Amino acid sequence: MLTSAAEPLLAVQALESGYGKIRVLHGIDIEIAAGEVVALLGPNGAGKTTLLRALSGLLPVTSGQVRFAGRDMTNATPREAGRAGLVHVIEGHRVFTQISVTDNLLIAGYDLPRGERAGRVEEALSYFPEIAEKRHERGGALSGGQQQMLTVAQGLVRRPRLLMLDEPSAGLSPVLVDRVLNVIDQLRKQGTAVLLVEQLLEKALAAADRVYALVQGNIVLQAPTSESNLPQRLERAYFGHESHASVVG
Amino acid sequence: MTTVTAAPAHHDSGTFRAALPHIAPFLGILVLAVILPFVSNDYWVLIGTRAAIYWVLVSGLNLVVGFAGHLAIGYVALLTLGAYTTSVLVAGNVMPPVPVFAALPIAGAVGAVFGVIVGLPALRLRTFYFAMSTLGFATIVTQIALAWQSVTGGGIGIVGPEFPAPFNTAWGFYFLCICFGVVTTWMSANIARSRFGRALIAVRDAEVAAEATGISKPKMLIAIFLFAGALAAIAGGLFATLQTYITPDAFTFDLSVLFFIAILIGGRGSILGPMLGTIILTILPEIAAPLAAWSTFLYAVLLLLIVLVMPGGIAALLDFRNRRPLASNRAIVPRPAALADIVRKRTGGSHLKLRGIALSFGNVRAIDGLDLDVAPGEIHGLIGPNGSGKTTTLNVISGYYAAEAGSMTLGDDALPPGEPTLRAHRGIARTFQTPRVIGEASVLQNVMIGGSIEGRASFVESMLALPRNAWDERMLAAKARALLGVVGLESLAEVRTDRLQHSELRFIEIARALMLDPDFLLLDEPAAGLSNDEIERLAVLIKAICARGTGVLLVEHHADLIFDICHQVTVLNLGRTLAAGTPAEIRVHKEVVSAYLGG
Amino acid sequence: MLASIIASGLAAGAIYALVGVTYNTMFSTSRVMSFTAGQLAMLGGVFGSLFTLKLGLPIVVGFLLTLVCCAIIGIITEFVAVRPVLKSLDQHLYVLSTLAVALMIQQVSAIKWGTEPQPFPRLFGIGSGVWDEKFWLPVVACAITIVALEYLYRRTLVGRAFVAIAEDNFAARALGLPERNLRVASYALAGVIGGVAGYSGGELMLAFFANGALLNFYGFVPVALGGLGNNRGAIVGGLALGLFQQAANFLVGGIFSSVAVFTLFIVVLLAAPQGLFGSSTARRV
Repeated sequence: MLTSAAEPLLAVQALESGYGKIRVLHGIDIEIAAGEVVALLGPNGAGKTTLLRALSGLLPVTSGQVRFAGRDMTNATPREAGRAGLVHVIEGHRVFTQISVTDNLLIAGYDLPRGERAGRVEEALSYFPEIAEKRHERGGALSGGQQQMLTVAQGLVRRPRLLMLDEPSAGLSPVLVDRVLNVIDQLRKQGTAVLLVEQLLEKALAAADRVYALVQGNIVLQAPTSESNLPQRLERAYFGHESHASVVG
Repeated sequence: MTTVTAAPAHHDSGTFRAALPHIAPFLGILVLAVILPFVSNDYWVLIGTRAAIYWVLVSGLNLVVGFAGHLAIGYVALLTLGAYTTSVLVAGNVMPPVPVFAALPIAGAVGAVFGVIVGLPALRLRTFYFAMSTLGFATIVTQIALAWQSVTGGGIGIVGPEFPAPFNTAWGFYFLCICFGVVTTWMSANIARSRFGRALIAVRDAEVAAEATGISKPKMLIAIFLFAGALAAIAGGLFATLQTYITPDAFTFDLSVLFFIAILIGGRGSILGPMLGTIILTILPEIAAPLAAWSTFLYAVLLLLIVLVMPGGIAALLDFRNRRPLASNRAIVPRPAALADIVRKRTGGSHLKLRGIALSFGNVRAIDGLDLDVAPGEIHGLIGPNGSGKTTTLNVISGYYAAEAGSMTLGDDALPPGEPTLRAHRGIARTFQTPRVIGEASVLQNVMIGGSIEGRASFVESMLALPRNAWDERMLAAKARALLGVVGLESLAEVRTDRLQHSELRFIEIARALMLDPDFLLLDEPAAGLSNDEIERLAVLIKAICARGTGVLLVEHHADLIFDICHQVTVLNLGRTLAAGTPAEIRVHKEVVSAYLGG
Repeated sequence: MLASIIASGLAAGAIYALVGVTYNTMFSTSRVMSFTAGQLAMLGGVFGSLFTLKLGLPIVVGFLLTLVCCAIIGIITEFVAVRPVLKSLDQHLYVLSTLAVALMIQQVSAIKWGTEPQPFPRLFGIGSGVWDEKFWLPVVACAITIVALEYLYRRTLVGRAFVAIAEDNFAARALGLPERNLRVASYALAGVIGGVAGYSGGELMLAFFANGALLNFYGFVPVALGGLGNNRGAIVGGLALGLFQQAANFLVGGIFSSVAVFTLFIVVLLAAPQGLFGSSTARRV
């Protein structure tokens, strides 16, 4: 499915990771090209969040290799990964509630040269006018959806080459989901690659160019979203059979 | 210095032979202690006496620090308290003089009471807070000893009690202290090896799981605080005699540090280790006189080294058995058929019913009006996306959370919200999403924890190794071994649990839950992290448990397993029932499929 | 008498409050309560006396050197006693490792400095009676420290990063904040605050090795009252503790004041384990 012959932006080989003694990922191989939007699907407990964490250095990689932008990034720290342009927006809209929206974004740019920070913050806020209005309010004063936008904006402050979003739609109303996912379209147009973990299948398929399905720590399916029978194939991958009911989407 | 023989009286000769390797080191130390006066001088007898007195205190404190894991760093305060109480009673400067052998038990009673008072914060808060409350207590006891001149003599001090003949000579007093040491070792070892000792470690390392097995933390802790406080105060009385004259200066914080560090150097959950630690720390400044001034510094360095390099202490060094490698290709092979010998067969029985249960965390509705029926002899699957409230439901049933609305009934009786320690008595057992086991205990001990509430011996009976305790132990051990056979882990019974693989821990948790012979078994993602073969064996095991009449509530992500073994399936989404029915109905349920795939 | 109670109460309370803030500063970035907090304050007094009285350095130089030394001790604590045990925070090994470092500090002070209280230099020579500088210095130092911390936390990026790490360490790490460096910095900062506490309280408490253990306890009480990591609670709690203690001291005598403080401590811990100002507990299961 990879269109470019050159080295992909992200190349993961035989990656294994987990929590302590518990191995969650059993040899993951994925590739993402520059500017590509890829959705990572799978049932609960399949290891989607674990994979993102292992890629961004929040969890140790016990074996396998992660190459990003032509460099070996296996077990890089989140800071190193972020500097290289591999940015992870974690799940659960965990903004810092005690400090202002602007400060939340300034902190995301902790590594940037002092003179650039204000500009980058404005750039990130330009994606989300609704939180730009509230820039002086504390993070805790935002609604759940606004907090989610703020965490995405925190990721954008660092001008990622690959932005990894973990369930950006969780707990949001459909309107807000579209609002957050729209940004992905904008990013694609600018050439930023996105790896999206998403529960809402329909939304994920609409936003992404390609999907990977993860079941019990293994990639079981990889397909472009243009394939027409994808929902049925996914269902088979999850349940091991196909239901007779037609699937929404 | 001192030692013990663990009560072998009620065991047959086979168990005695098995226990011999454990008892031999203590006997060796006792022999050395007895011959010490004959091969050395009075000075070493004095050192030996001091070590024996310290051990009287440490043997009690060991249960608090080494077993219950509460960091009591100010126990010198209880030593001080006991020393002054005994001295004041014997001297008779407040009330008529009391003979020393009557004064010691009184001091012990006072120490027991204060042991509990100082320990109270530990009932609610662990670690630093408790450490601080003992430290604060040590500070004020010294201040009071200084200031309350009419009783304590203030800075001038007071004469220590004198024992009658034959204990008024150096040798006589030495052997008296050795006797005290032998008795306290015996009692503390009895507690440590009883279900109470296991419960202490369970509360320390797996508090939540301990609650689910019905262990009541406050009762346990108060019992050992009484015990440790009494021993510390009695040690104080002996200490005052040894000093012949006591002032507040005699009770420096350094002593506290010695007691505390002796236990940690010795190793948690051991009796022999802390005993060796006490002896070593008492002797250390004597054999290196120039270091005497630096002894506390040395202790501190030792403490840091222990924490950073050798967390297991001396006990881990001596634990040869657990250094033998385990077979790497071992497999879990359950023998569910053996269940018939252990678990009673039920027919019928009461239903577990939830009606309109609701619970919020902050603004998040975790469960929103849930109805659920679990029937005996039936496997009920509970599935749903992340955050749909599955584990929260289990936690409401097991009493960790009190529902804000709704009712739970077991048969005709209401199941009160909260109160997790009462669930075991009602026949509800469970496992946890992340296995909660005691890594430092053996597999067998971990399983025996599950039967804690079936023991009949009281704390005092266990302390004195009375027959009912021995009966409890035999019964629990036999049942635990049999259940390890059922889950297929009997070959690992004696292994330290932290050496096992993750999947084995899941089966240990099931064995532990079965110790209760539960009417209802709640399993929280038992298949997570298991290989496909293991999942198949798990399925067989669960079906066998259910076939004995136990109702199983199974929270699981593995769709195959759920559809394969469940009689009923309830699907949760956003804290509500999305669908309920047989697996055949659920797997074709349109909304369920789309909830799983995202819709 | 009321004036003396208030003067000595506020002075002692300010010292307790500062030690409480020292605890909190270390706690915020590491979730570790360190037994070195009181020792740092003790060292503030000992170093102050050493540099100014023993070595005869100018007051300003002596003060700055004291703070530098305390900051270094703070950093050493982080490296020796905190970093190695952070991975297994739930085992609470930090209680033991920081206790070990605290004991080392105390023992070295006792041996090298002496076990008798030694005089602390009179810094400005301003005021007498209840307006003596030994009473108002700690209060002023406490006020300046609060203002400086507020400035740090609200106006600087590093300060906001501290706030962020304190609130959600995982999210801060995911954002790529240099969590380790910030933690070291917070331990240095805690050293400075502890040093300020000991230095400003030097004239009141003298340069005495045993102050460490005492301040460990009396500095922790306001933290327990106010809730872990809550500086405002620590300040209020510290001042209240100082006033309470001194009032009890003057009215019913020394023994009962310490008994009263201890009883208060136990009762508060049992009644409100999260402190009077703290938030509720996290989920356990």
